[in-house]
Amino acid sequence: MATYLEFIQQNEERDGVRFSWNVWPSSRLEATRMVVPLACLLTPLKERLDLPPVQYEPVLCSRQTCKAVLNPLCQVDYRAKLWACNFCFQRNQFPPAYAGISEINQPAELMPQFSTIEYIVQRGSPTPLIFLYVVDTCLEEEDLQALKESLQMSLSLLPPEALVGLITFGRMVQVHELSCEGISKSYVFRGTKDLTAKQIQDMLGLTRPVLPVQQGRPLQPQEQPPISSRFLQPVHKIDMNLTDLLGELQRDPWPVTQGKRPLRSTGVALSIAVGLLEGTFPNTGARVMLFTGGPPTQGPGMVVGDELKTPIRSWHDIEKDNARFMKKATKHYEILANRTAANGHCIDIYACALDQTGLLEMKCCANLTGGHMVMGDSFNTSLFKQTFQRVFSKDFSGEFRMAFGATLEVKTSRELKISGAIGPCVSLNAKGPCVSENELGIGGTCQWKICSLDPSSTLAIYFEVVNQHNAPIPQGGRGAVQFVTQYQHSCTQRRIRVTTIARNWADAQSQLQHIEAAFDQEAAAVLMARLGVYRAESEEGPDVLRWLDRQLIRLCQKFGQYNKDDPNSFRLSDSFSLYPQFMFHLRRSPFLQVFNNSPDESSYYRHHFARQDLTQSLIMIQPILYSYSFSGPPEPVLLDSSSILADRILLMDTFFQIVIYLGETIAQWQKAGYQDMPEYENFKHLLQAPLDDAQEILQTRFPMPRYINTEHGGSQARFLLSKVNPSQTHNNLYAWGQESGSPILTDDVSLQVFMDHLKKLAVSSAS
Amino acid sequence: MLGRDVAMAELYVKPGNKERGWNDPPQFSYGLQIQCGGPKRPPLSRRVPSPADGAPQAPTPANSAPPAVPAALASKPVGPPPLAVVSPALRPDAAKQVASLAEECEVKVEDVLTPLNETLSMCRNTVQKQVCDDISRRLAVFRELWLQGKLSAPVRKRMNILVQELQRRHWDVADEIHRALMVDHVNEVSQWMVGIKRLIAEARNLPPGDLVANDEQGAGAQPAEEAL
Repeated sequence: MATYLEFIQQNEERDGVRFSWNVWPSSRLEATRMVVPLACLLTPLKERLDLPPVQYEPVLCSRQTCKAVLNPLCQVDYRAKLWACNFCFQRNQFPPAYAGISEINQPAELMPQFSTIEYIVQRGSPTPLIFLYVVDTCLEEEDLQALKESLQMSLSLLPPEALVGLITFGRMVQVHELSCEGISKSYVFRGTKDLTAKQIQDMLGLTRPVLPVQQGRPLQPQEQPPISSRFLQPVHKIDMNLTDLLGELQRDPWPVTQGKRPLRSTGVALSIAVGLLEGTFPNTGARVMLFTGGPPTQGPGMVVGDELKTPIRSWHDIEKDNARFMKKATKHYEILANRTAANGHCIDIYACALDQTGLLEMKCCANLTGGHMVMGDSFNTSLFKQTFQRVFSKDFSGEFRMAFGATLEVKTSRELKISGAIGPCVSLNAKGPCVSENELGIGGTCQWKICSLDPSSTLAIYFEVVNQHNAPIPQGGRGAVQFVTQYQHSCTQRRIRVTTIARNWADAQSQLQHIEAAFDQEAAAVLMARLGVYRAESEEGPDVLRWLDRQLIRLCQKFGQYNKDDPNSFRLSDSFSLYPQFMFHLRRSPFLQVFNNSPDESSYYRHHFARQDLTQSLIMIQPILYSYSFSGPPEPVLLDSSSILADRILLMDTFFQIVIYLGETIAQWQKAGYQDMPEYENFKHLLQAPLDDAQEILQTRFPMPRYINTEHGGSQARFLLSKVNPSQTHNNLYAWGQESGSPILTDDVSLQVFMDHLKKLAVSSAS
Repeated sequence: MLGRDVAMAELYVKPGNKERGWNDPPQFSYGLQIQCGGPKRPPLSRRVPSPADGAPQAPTPANSAPPAVPAALASKPVGPPPLAVVSPALRPDAAKQVASLAEECEVKVEDVLTPLNETLSMCRNTVQKQVCDDISRRLAVFRELWLQGKLSAPVRKRMNILVQELQRRHWDVADEIHRALMVDHVNEVSQWMVGIKRLIAEARNLPPGDLVANDEQGAGAQPAEEAL
């Protein structure tokens, strides 16, 4: 290991883990003085091409309160066939199958390169994946047509054995019976009345007569097909009938008079979908996929009335406590989301409309269950179509990039406790010796349920050092954490992935420079941002900003080098140098600022921020800016107004948008048509280069970003101008001279001013 | 794995639906989407640290901005772009040519339909009558649309390839072509393609004896990709 940067990168590639600190302060007191908590970003199912799963069960520590999995950090006595748990120090006998092990014949899980290992375990018989489409029919003709085609198309992308079902809704809710006979039948529900799970199951005829349990066996889901088969059928059996059924779907037939919104019973439709799966396939991987083109307007979960003259709630209304339906609707969807999570299912929301659709109220459905949230303008856009296709994308080995019903359990060595997690999960309320009383995020547990996840799903997990001050550095000099993720693979196998990591302890008083050098500022920025966004969802915006500012100042006080009361002397070491600018951009980001965003948009942005991996999260915090010019290969440039030059093309990636911006001269050359003249072929290539790079991002990103091609003076240049640091504004333009970037018309604080204030506060003896 | 499939898939990028979607991104064909598996270049994820004091440096990093350009700026209209050799870093070769498959397709409908119907009649012994009738109905729709000229050249051409693969019993390849057609041309094929899909699935399940090899390349000539 040459540098910490390499160490961090290797660990991320191998284990899918990034820690804020890679050398840990050895006492509780010192750890709190580090300001940024000891925490990590964990990508439980990070794609590993070089990790073939092993086909046996993991070996567990025999202590009932521990049950840690045998791992490379355990001490092994090969002669006595014993191993000592590295978490609780229990000595364990190896199971009989391990009789032949020796130093030269180790099982994989003891080899250092298998700090992450995956087990295939056979538990019960496999159950097919389930996809339940819940389709809004109050759409414009063009949108409905496009959606129908996308749904038909998806039948070709689904695994043939998968079960699929269809619920449509408008003023009424229809649950379609799928049969291979030509007659289509459906059960119609009123959209105004909420029904309990029991009522739904009774009305759909899902309650089975109590059968004598045979030979004391628990009923396996496959033994139930007679019950659910009417509504959920294998794709390979009903693909032709379902294609026709989808093709024949009509717009909601109820008339919508002028000045009214269509009556849309989203709340009841979702409730029925959840109840249907709850009664038929609990604890089996299932996706409810909601496709909606507008806000719920009646029944439980309604977000706005049907009078068009009353607009849907805005941030202003919410602040003024003037959002009539918000609390009640949110409550409705929260109850549904929690039931769904308890059943191990997930809910995706595909909302395509120009106005808001109620994502604010419905967000918990996706957030608590690991479902996707996609926001577009219309179903007839490539943004929706391709995003939807990518839900069914496959990995290198031809397996779907989706997994279901995961539980993540975290185990720690004694000097650490778990404060909580932030990500697309719910608590399993599993208490234990390693659970801290100080909660950060979803705390009070060492286990979480993640109903749906993919190879990029990432959780933030926060820890607390509990070793007492002045106590010696713990035995062995290293602390360890084990992450155990049990899940249903898309091929329906049950699998367990186990990652065990260790880091050195250091005494913060005598070895601060070791701790400092091992700081991962990128991980720290994302981990702090997740905490900030998590708080912003519950508290007012300004409080969160103040909290973030305070943390940043404290961090600079602790790790900056300076003379008291001399701001000019302030310096940060390399491992901290980017951190302040991450915080600067985070403060301006749509994750913390709601200005200019609707409540739905804020919910959408925050949804994605709380689940992406480190690289993508960092792009969201501080967008990437690359410059293309004749003077050399494409290069990253400062996200600063000074980077906007006439002879450059800029490519900006904000995760949600890809912006290509032609500088003034470039735009003029393009208008003059130089790219079409053979002698200026190089100009043509210059224009093409950022397009190619953008294409590469567009081809892999989920969800599909918006794509903006603009130029100097173009109205859409605002996407770039609003993201760059406004180092030149109309206020200080002349100080910088001409031709040195592009002044931004803003009163926002620039990074320079921000840094000046930060330094003043950090070095001040008053604070 | 997909070398052969990709060669037969369409590779194109078409603009998004700007009328319905604000800044709608371009649409990638199925072939391009599955091809993009491995990143070809390092992702654009580098950042420049801000100078310690937060103030941008003089915005002309050592190697940027040839002096001629600002001068040109000052006196509009601007001069021409430099006539320099192409910077290799700009990777002109990467420009994906949108090779359209618009060339005329000479295939006759019966050439495609006859093998499909033959396969269907082989299925009739073992597969439910209703399923076979359903497939047959969709083949009729397919024929109708073809004869009315409602199927585009790429669809006709690729259906022809699909049928050839079907005859060679390359089920996975045929299935992959069906999938590509569903994704790329759903509005043309959604009504009847599911019949082809089902036919591929049913033919694949036929006991080997029932399926009379139509050509010499029969079962022995499975392409390597299918072994995955």
